[in-house]
Amino acid sequence: MNSLLASAVAGLSAGGAYAILGVCAVFTYRLVAVVNFTGAAIGAAGTFVMVTLYESGYPLAIGVPAGIAAGALVATWIGIVMTTWFAGASASTKAAVTAALLVGIIAVGLRLTGGQHPHSFPELVTGSAFRFAGVEVTRASLLTLAIAVVFTLVTEQFLARTRTGLQLRALSLRPMAAELIGIRVRLLALCVWAVVGAVTSFALMVIAPLRSPDFMSLSLLVVPALAAALIGAFTSFRAALIGGLMIGIIEGVASGLDTFSQYRGAIPFLVILAVLLWSQRGARWDEAR
Amino acid sequence: MKYLTSLLLTSATACCGLALMGGSAAAAPTCEDGPIQLGSVSTITGPVDFSDGPSGAKAVFDQLNAAGGINGCTIEYTMADDKGDPQVAAQAARDLIDNRNVVALGGGASLLECAVNAGTYKRNDVLSVQGVGVDPMCFNAPTIAPVNVGPYTLTTAMLDYASNELKNEKLCAFFIILGGTQEAYAQAVKRWEAMSGKTIHLVDMTLPLQGDLTPYLIKARDSGCDAVLTNQVEPGVVQMINTADAQKIEGIDWIFLASGYTEGVAKALPDTRQPVYLGTEWEPYTEVNAANGDWMAVMEKAGLAKTAFSQGGYLAAKVLVDTISSIDGPVTRETIKAKLTEGKPMKYSIAGSDYVFGDAAKHAPMQATKVMQLSGGKWVPRTTDWYVLPPVE
Amino acid sequence: MKHASLHAALKTASALAIIAGLAVLALPNYWVFLITAVFIVGVALQSLGLVTGRTGMISLCQMSFAGVGAWVTGYLNVAEFPGGLVVWVLVGGLAAVPVGVVIGLPALRLRGINLAIVTLGFAAAFDTVLATITFPGQTSFTQVARPAPFESDKGYFLFIMLVYGLIAVALEFVNRSRLGASWLAVRHSERAAAAHGVSIAHAKLSAFAISAFIAGISGGLLAGYLGTLVAENFNMMQSLVLFAVATMVGAHFTLGAIAGGLMITLFPELLRRVGLPQDVGNVFFAVGAVQALSSGETMSETWGRLGSKLLPRRAGKTSAKPPPPLAAPSVHAQGLALEVNGLTVRYGNVIALDKVSLAVPARTVVGLIGPNGAGKSTTVDAIAGFLPRYEGSIKLAGRPLEGLSATARAKAGIRRTWQTTRIAPELTVGEYMRLAAAGIKPGEIEAVLEWFDCPSPETVIATVDAGTRRLIDVAGVVAARPPVLLLDEPAAGQSYAEALKLGERIAAVPEKFGSAVLLIEHDMDLVRRACSAITVFDFGRLIAQGTPQAALGSAIVQKAYMGIEPEERVA
Repeated sequence: MNSLLASAVAGLSAGGAYAILGVCAVFTYRLVAVVNFTGAAIGAAGTFVMVTLYESGYPLAIGVPAGIAAGALVATWIGIVMTTWFAGASASTKAAVTAALLVGIIAVGLRLTGGQHPHSFPELVTGSAFRFAGVEVTRASLLTLAIAVVFTLVTEQFLARTRTGLQLRALSLRPMAAELIGIRVRLLALCVWAVVGAVTSFALMVIAPLRSPDFMSLSLLVVPALAAALIGAFTSFRAALIGGLMIGIIEGVASGLDTFSQYRGAIPFLVILAVLLWSQRGARWDEAR
Repeated sequence: MKYLTSLLLTSATACCGLALMGGSAAAAPTCEDGPIQLGSVSTITGPVDFSDGPSGAKAVFDQLNAAGGINGCTIEYTMADDKGDPQVAAQAARDLIDNRNVVALGGGASLLECAVNAGTYKRNDVLSVQGVGVDPMCFNAPTIAPVNVGPYTLTTAMLDYASNELKNEKLCAFFIILGGTQEAYAQAVKRWEAMSGKTIHLVDMTLPLQGDLTPYLIKARDSGCDAVLTNQVEPGVVQMINTADAQKIEGIDWIFLASGYTEGVAKALPDTRQPVYLGTEWEPYTEVNAANGDWMAVMEKAGLAKTAFSQGGYLAAKVLVDTISSIDGPVTRETIKAKLTEGKPMKYSIAGSDYVFGDAAKHAPMQATKVMQLSGGKWVPRTTDWYVLPPVE
Repeated sequence: MKHASLHAALKTASALAIIAGLAVLALPNYWVFLITAVFIVGVALQSLGLVTGRTGMISLCQMSFAGVGAWVTGYLNVAEFPGGLVVWVLVGGLAAVPVGVVIGLPALRLRGINLAIVTLGFAAAFDTVLATITFPGQTSFTQVARPAPFESDKGYFLFIMLVYGLIAVALEFVNRSRLGASWLAVRHSERAAAAHGVSIAHAKLSAFAISAFIAGISGGLLAGYLGTLVAENFNMMQSLVLFAVATMVGAHFTLGAIAGGLMITLFPELLRRVGLPQDVGNVFFAVGAVQALSSGETMSETWGRLGSKLLPRRAGKTSAKPPPPLAAPSVHAQGLALEVNGLTVRYGNVIALDKVSLAVPARTVVGLIGPNGAGKSTTVDAIAGFLPRYEGSIKLAGRPLEGLSATARAKAGIRRTWQTTRIAPELTVGEYMRLAAAGIKPGEIEAVLEWFDCPSPETVIATVDAGTRRLIDVAGVVAARPPVLLLDEPAAGQSYAEALKLGERIAAVPEKFGSAVLLIEHDMDLVRRACSAITVFDFGRLIAQGTPQAALGSAIVQKAYMGIEPEERVA
């Protein structure tokens, strides 16, 4: 039992990463109506800009903001693609676009970062915060969790309380109508993209030292992240947050199990599938999404 | 033979002497149809960049050509890329065999090329002196004999080293299983168990390629492992040691295979206090010594980085050059095959075992490693002697 | 229409035969080897085209299905299962079917993007599982044996061409069948498909099952091609690249699948020859897919369009012989065909319908009118089974419909049209008619189309104007000859003259086809012309009922509907 708890706590740091990326996926979907398969790849781009600067001798005080800016820039670029050619497209088409872009971005990213050659990833936050169930909970994983929670709360309040938030909600529901009532749709959408890029970049910078930090692995973090977003039905930030944490914890627990060891990798998938089938049991017709 | 060995060990530029290897001094290879065609399939773009391997081989051939070739025959060497994609690997091999008419392959370093192409080589009667064999088929096919020890033999060797030299009792092994390597690693562990009469404490074959390692390290600690061997590749090594530091784990020897042996790894872990060991494929490439002398000279002349992969490419090229030099008459697939399958041991200073191709159904000629330890952001040799495994019965 | 399938199939088969012949005669071994891969990838692309291109479900795990087929083929090879590669590949394909169905199951609930994420998750999970299983026979150096007559490279190429041809021809037939039309219909609108009595579950699962079968076959063929395989042949990136290429070329077209196969196979070759790095290919595929998505037109469609511009258009077949006369009207039960009692529908706190009742006697046309927001379309939705819940009872010929799904109600005999046309534009008129009226005879299709003045069966819906599409809408449901037809504003978008003519046709439906009609319409002239009785709604309540004259003349209707105050009329 104790070892199960230990593995569950050990899964927390991965869970924090999935949570923040999942919340970002919900953010993108709710505000610009795109299910973004490139979410983690954008963050990876920003992270590698930071690492490159760090490796060439620049201090973190320059590297980190530059990396965040680069992530925002890449995201904005994708935003430009989406708003220029796919403003009126269906959600499915937009998702297909980002899935296709992911293929290209991974190829370019691997090329620029030299495949799996290790880069020396500076730890933005070091050390562990406390020990629980025999597991050191690192500051980095607490920080990712904190970013996820703060981002969730701030976004919720922002959307509910401010005028820009209201405009953003209008934008995602009825882009045409929003344009008609004088909202600067494109500018607003690009801002959303930039924010997503900046947040994911920073989150991945924190996470990267404890993960296999090559471009492809970081980009493919999008799979659990989207699963988390799906648990939140792409509407609830909190559900996505909790969903991401759950996936991380389930992975942790699964790694402690010795039965069906070689099918362990499939366990999170099966759990997600079950959760989804249950949570969406009421949905019937295709207008849903 | 004795003369040659001492020559190799003492002379840093033993390349000329090597031309005499394996055949009579009167051997005179001929090439009536132009330059001798050689080639390799390597993973150059895609998930990893192993281009150092074939580039190292190319450097050997280029310098040989510049010096007039072998008996006047120059070598044309084609490096093909497989992108880590089996389909592309198959195409590349067919291109080399059908269109370039290569007489042999050598110096390649790929994630999956052996598994995909071993059959093709067999059908076309072409042999491959793989520079860096990675997938299990490299060590399990009649047509391929790599010049490296390979992750599976190295697993056995390092387990043995940990138990004999590091005096570890509870050995644990965690493997990332990619592309059907499970059987090969299981075999490697079994070989050690049979050899040493001991049993392994814990084997976990589910280490994720990407993902958090914390749960696995906790598992290792809670199971009481005093040595953990894994087949992590470069970034994974860094990740694993960072995670171990983050978890304040103590008292475990971390043992890696040659895939972790890069300066990047050492630099990325400047101040870890974890005891980190690994086994090399050849003479440690970070050491400047006589054994590495010729390889270093070639790389410097070609302006290439000195990496472990380039040692593999270099060594494979040397094997091919020496084999071709020993041929009397036209250099064809048949004559090269005949020479290689004779199974004459070939000795090189950067390898701990003699290279033998021979006519066995599978080949793993290299059975010796040198153990390195991480210390202050540098890899330091633990021993100057080769750690050699007893031959497989 | 069977001969159209036959024609297309023959065309495909002969084109492939010519390619095969030319390739074997003219190309050196290496190129034959390369081209073989083109068609194996082509098979995989066709499987993806079916599920994604045709049925509109994004599948990002197609190579996982192929992996199942390949591994099963490998096992059978090692086990020396009798029958050779042909049998192994078939068994491999069949083994992929249950996997496809299991992945298809969530598609019943999770659609579109959700499904894309689930399939991507499956591909990732399958990666980790497949990676642990060495390809059967690899360690013992047992290559997958090719069938004896097709041992050599050229021989195996011919074998692949044979299989590719068989699959392509079979798909031509399936795509032109009602099943194929139902896939397109599901992609275009699930509701509209259900309203035609198409079982959405059946359509989706069959698409996934057939797609997985074909993908599994492609995996088996690949095993025979390369002799042995590794997990990387089928990993997630391969599936993603396949998806990008399929999107770019339009893999649900025969030409598109071949073009995609050419790209995936020959791009590495091209890059090798020009000396460019191999990863440029993926960037190209990504850009190409985005381009195709942004123009809304796959490469196959672009070529088709340009091709048809270049080639002189074949004159439409003006069949001299007049279409056969309409078949005799169907005989349905007498009495009340449709009976609605105390129907109440709530959307949250809003009451959309408040205890309304109406009745449609067999073989009559009843009008349902009322101002916008009166609840007319809600009534249709409730009757046809598209509302999750309502109170009250709806009976078809005395049989209660509660608890039946939209599909089941359509099958029981309630057909509807929509305010805006929901016909999949890729269908031909004839295919749509067969989708709407299952089992209809070709002569009958022509007769109904003629009666409604619709274009010929070969016409593609996309080329037809909106007004005519509304007519085809009506013609389709009428041709099904159900006991009850619900027509939701069929004349919207029609000219006045067309509307009058449509009114006459609708009025004649009971007599010619035997169906009862509930007609919702704003056009009062059409209503007067077509209906024998009228029900009037306002704000979700029934305000008048009776003959057209009486109902339209009543004061309350005049006020609610025409905005005319009774006093004004008096004055």
